[in-house]
Amino acid sequence: MNPVIKINGLSFGYEFGDSVLKDIYLEISPGEMVALVGQNGAGKTTLVKHLIGLLRPPAGKVSVADLDVANTRISKLSRQVGYVFQNPDHQIFHDTVQAEVAFGLNNLGLPREEVEPRVTAALSDVGLEHLAHENPQRLSRGQRQRVALASVLALRTPVIVLDEPTTGQDYQERKQIMALVEQLNKAGHTIVFITHDMSLVAHYASRVVVLCQGRIILDGDTREVFRQTDKLAESLLLPPQVTVLANQLNEPLNTSVSPVILSVDEMQDYLQRVREVKRNGTGD
Amino acid sequence: MARVIEYIYRDSIIHQLNPVSKLAWALGVMVLALTFNDPYYLLALLLSVGLVGLTGRVLKDLSGVMKGLSIFALILVLLQVIFYHGAYQEAIALGIAMGLRMMTVVLSFLVFLSTTQYKDIILVLTEKMKLPYDYVFMFMTSLRFVPTFLNEAIQVGYAQQVRGCPIDSGNPWRKMKAYIAVALPLVLISLKKAERLAIAMETRGYGSNNRTYYKEPVISTLDYFVIFLVVILIIGAIILRCKGLGVLH
Repeated sequence: MNPVIKINGLSFGYEFGDSVLKDIYLEISPGEMVALVGQNGAGKTTLVKHLIGLLRPPAGKVSVADLDVANTRISKLSRQVGYVFQNPDHQIFHDTVQAEVAFGLNNLGLPREEVEPRVTAALSDVGLEHLAHENPQRLSRGQRQRVALASVLALRTPVIVLDEPTTGQDYQERKQIMALVEQLNKAGHTIVFITHDMSLVAHYASRVVVLCQGRIILDGDTREVFRQTDKLAESLLLPPQVTVLANQLNEPLNTSVSPVILSVDEMQDYLQRVREVKRNGTGD
Repeated sequence: MARVIEYIYRDSIIHQLNPVSKLAWALGVMVLALTFNDPYYLLALLLSVGLVGLTGRVLKDLSGVMKGLSIFALILVLLQVIFYHGAYQEAIALGIAMGLRMMTVVLSFLVFLSTTQYKDIILVLTEKMKLPYDYVFMFMTSLRFVPTFLNEAIQVGYAQQVRGCPIDSGNPWRKMKAYIAVALPLVLISLKKAERLAIAMETRGYGSNNRTYYKEPVISTLDYFVIFLVVILIIGAIILRCKGLGVLH
């Protein structure tokens, strides 16, 4: 399939400082769910800001849905790419949750009879429908984060970029948000999310891109990336504990053949199979 | 990153001066700028301020702001030309004078603030000039938060633009309306920030006792010389002004 995001030789540096991104090549196909990971300062946010024109590539080419980011207005790109920021307070200003979510839709010039159901749907998606008439400033930080999320989801853009969407959420809320993102992905949206939570990556991402000091050091299938513990350690990343445990148990065996375990359930299955093989083996 | 009104660490003689003498200089420049309205006098003053900035090795860092200001100054000239009742040349001269005056005053304060650590300013104002700490702190902190505020403004602008907010619109009316979506979150963020700052300070014992200071302010011979020079210049300017020099008729 024709990639929806094409980054070709992107390099970028802020005005006062060293280069942040160095020669990035990345193609993302429609319907992918990509986790972007790396240490703080690795360039993750800088990279995704190029997807919606908040930063313009000085060198290299970035295109999203066949629009050249270098010379397309943000308001036009925003019809293709939704972007959820780290800090919800940077965008919340209406005095009801409902109006806040409707803001983007009104900007797109949608008629009222279309705005209302979309707002309701987006709010129920993030589990805030009961707070639709509340003032966002009275909500908790986690709830405001979900208001911000809903206000972007309501735009129903083909590509959705989430910059640490689960910061400040408890376990339940985190699961809820990621389940929602997964659902959107299944409905055909291309998802790029930044996170520090490797268990989220293991659970939800189909592909992982690891940034280290402005370069992509790993890019591939989640299992393949988590197999390469040495490379991950370079940017001080550790796969989920269960994956590490499985990798270590596998070490005496041939690691390239044994599977990469991503969850406790998989581990359980695997151990069960090992036990069966063993039992059959001793039975002989 | 917006970088305005921020201490810029450089090794220069201006950085080593005591905040008092730099503040006296900036205030002196302001008095001089208000004394004259002859564009030539003001241009000379602006150049002298630029020279100080150059000595302090911060002029290059401030050039961005000054570029923006010069556009604003041009608008001032234009407004004078449009609205001034009188001769055309007079209007232009007055407009240029106003523009230069603004740039001079702003640049002198930018040089002062970018070569002086704000904690040193607080120290001098409270210890040497015996102003109440609370007020000094309030004033300096609000200055200190200007760059932070500008950065927040950029972030908020981003967050609204990606929701299709037409900040980049060519239509000025739509653009103006779009900026409401930037102004309101900024106010809210600032209020929250102020509250957090107050709590953070109180939990670390702010206002519980007479405070002590980390550093002893030093006033060197050079500082006395600078202050002396500023006083002489102001007196000289007043004499010139009384003789009718440096003023347009």
